[in-house]
Amino acid sequence: MTARLDVDLEKQLPGFDLQVRWTAGDGIAVLFGPSGAGKSLTLACLAGLVRPDAGRIVVDGRVLFDAATGVDLPPQRRRVGYVFQGYALFPHLSVADNIGFGLRDRPRAERTRRVAEVVERLGLGGLEARRPAELSGGQRQRVALGRALAIDPALLLLDEPLSALDLPLRRALRDELRATLADLRMAAVVVTHDFTEAYRLGDRIVVYDRGRVVQTAPRSELLWQPASEAVARIMAIPNVLRGTVVKATPDRIQLRWRGQLLEAVNSPARAYLPAPDTPLAFFIRPEYVRLIRKDRGLADPSHHMNVMHGTVVEEADFGTTWLLRLRLDEPGAPAQGAYDLEVEVPHLVYEILEIDRDRHWEFSIHRGSIHVLPG
Amino acid sequence: MTAESLSALSLSIRVAVFATALNALIGIPLAYVLARRQFLGKTAVDLLVTLPLVLPPTVTGFYLIVLLGRRGWLGGPLYEATGWSITFTWYAAVVAATVMALPLLVRTARAAIESVDRDLERAAHTLGRSEWRAALEVTLPLARNGIIAGLVLAFARALGEFGATLMLAGNIPGRTATVPLSIYTAVQTGESGEALGLVATLTVLSCVVLVVAGRLGARAT
Repeated sequence: MTARLDVDLEKQLPGFDLQVRWTAGDGIAVLFGPSGAGKSLTLACLAGLVRPDAGRIVVDGRVLFDAATGVDLPPQRRRVGYVFQGYALFPHLSVADNIGFGLRDRPRAERTRRVAEVVERLGLGGLEARRPAELSGGQRQRVALGRALAIDPALLLLDEPLSALDLPLRRALRDELRATLADLRMAAVVVTHDFTEAYRLGDRIVVYDRGRVVQTAPRSELLWQPASEAVARIMAIPNVLRGTVVKATPDRIQLRWRGQLLEAVNSPARAYLPAPDTPLAFFIRPEYVRLIRKDRGLADPSHHMNVMHGTVVEEADFGTTWLLRLRLDEPGAPAQGAYDLEVEVPHLVYEILEIDRDRHWEFSIHRGSIHVLPG
Repeated sequence: MTAESLSALSLSIRVAVFATALNALIGIPLAYVLARRQFLGKTAVDLLVTLPLVLPPTVTGFYLIVLLGRRGWLGGPLYEATGWSITFTWYAAVVAATVMALPLLVRTARAAIESVDRDLERAAHTLGRSEWRAALEVTLPLARNGIIAGLVLAFARALGEFGATLMLAGNIPGRTATVPLSIYTAVQTGESGEALGLVATLTVLSCVVLVVAGRLGARAT
């Protein structure tokens, strides 16, 4: 991966301390994390709107900021396109004047041509004379994007680009935005606190927590291998649980949890070999828990591993899937309040198994679906 | 209306127009700086500008004499050097009206500027504008109605200024006797007809100003 974006920042604010370091290559980098983690502050530093106390910012080999050598380009000389949360369109200017705002220094003919190009590309034709107040949410987002793109930026920054939109529109525009950004082949950084959005938009995800980067990974790697329990909790992964190590080998980890002996896959690559009795966090994806059919005789041990028994104590209908909360047939307090595990089943399965009638189940979890979170 | 009344009216309007222009020149940049910048002594500047709003006008006038009078901190050296003093000239009426009107403009304009979303200025910076250009192209146009409302209020205040003007400029018929001062003189000398004419004129003018300011205020929100 050739690093197009090399970020190393330190910024001390009253009650907040940002200290981050990450790189990104081609494609879209997403800064993901809870509100107040320092994501927007990072964007402000990249754009030159906030001066970091220390560090270095390099875009495509061009140094925008370097505390050591005293380089600090002002925002107007950074060629950074910024799409603000809420878009920050100039309410007193038309769509065309908003898009052309950054082209003031170009000759009139070139400005007109460039605005027309951006209008065409983003499908804003016919709206040129309108004011921002006369546009829909989606149109405003496109104008904001167009205004940032018109200056032909070296780097594009988008701060929560979808948060100002209604939910149904958000999904549609999320995919549209992904297509547009992929099309542009431009270094882009998107800030979001929504993991689905981060996963859909980003090629590489940088996880922020309280002013620090806790993980940087390609999106699929992040999904299956969060670096720690903290990252898993920020991602709002269900069923983050805590057990103790029984035995660890390079390929497998055996662990004890709620009176069960579970077997999980270990990865030789990460060389994680905790000693027996070490506390260990792990997670189980709700959609990977298998309920065992009662009409097919005894469970076949070659098909089912990590077999447990439990009762459905809560359930919720999510339209296409059911979320079941199961409590194990074990004495002692359940792992997550009133229940031990969240299990997700498609509607069809729920109906075939008649789960609404039958509440007690045997279920299994493949060892590959138990993900160990190194401490 | 007598010749004296007419001359008072024309003087008052001239003073108010000049005072309003000076207000725009000083007050708008001041309002911007107070709204958007942090600097040493900001509280002191804010206090100094606002004081004439709460002090009795005669007290403000007194300070102006201390500052600009023939033996004042600034007026003294000026008088020694040139033999000219601002006191008892119509310029003094302009200065008094300007100082008295300034807090009205600065407070109104500052509130209008503060209500402009800062992200709009940040956006302008990323699109190639310096702070100065962003203020001129984004902040001030968006705060325009509030600023105009402030100017209208300042004009009205300048038109009706009495106490500080009397202290610094005196009440010289044809030179520094503005409408409010002439009304006072007319009442003192029993010329109630003359007083009534000026009172009616000033009332009508003030009503017009208030209506205009109200309309602009309504459009600003």
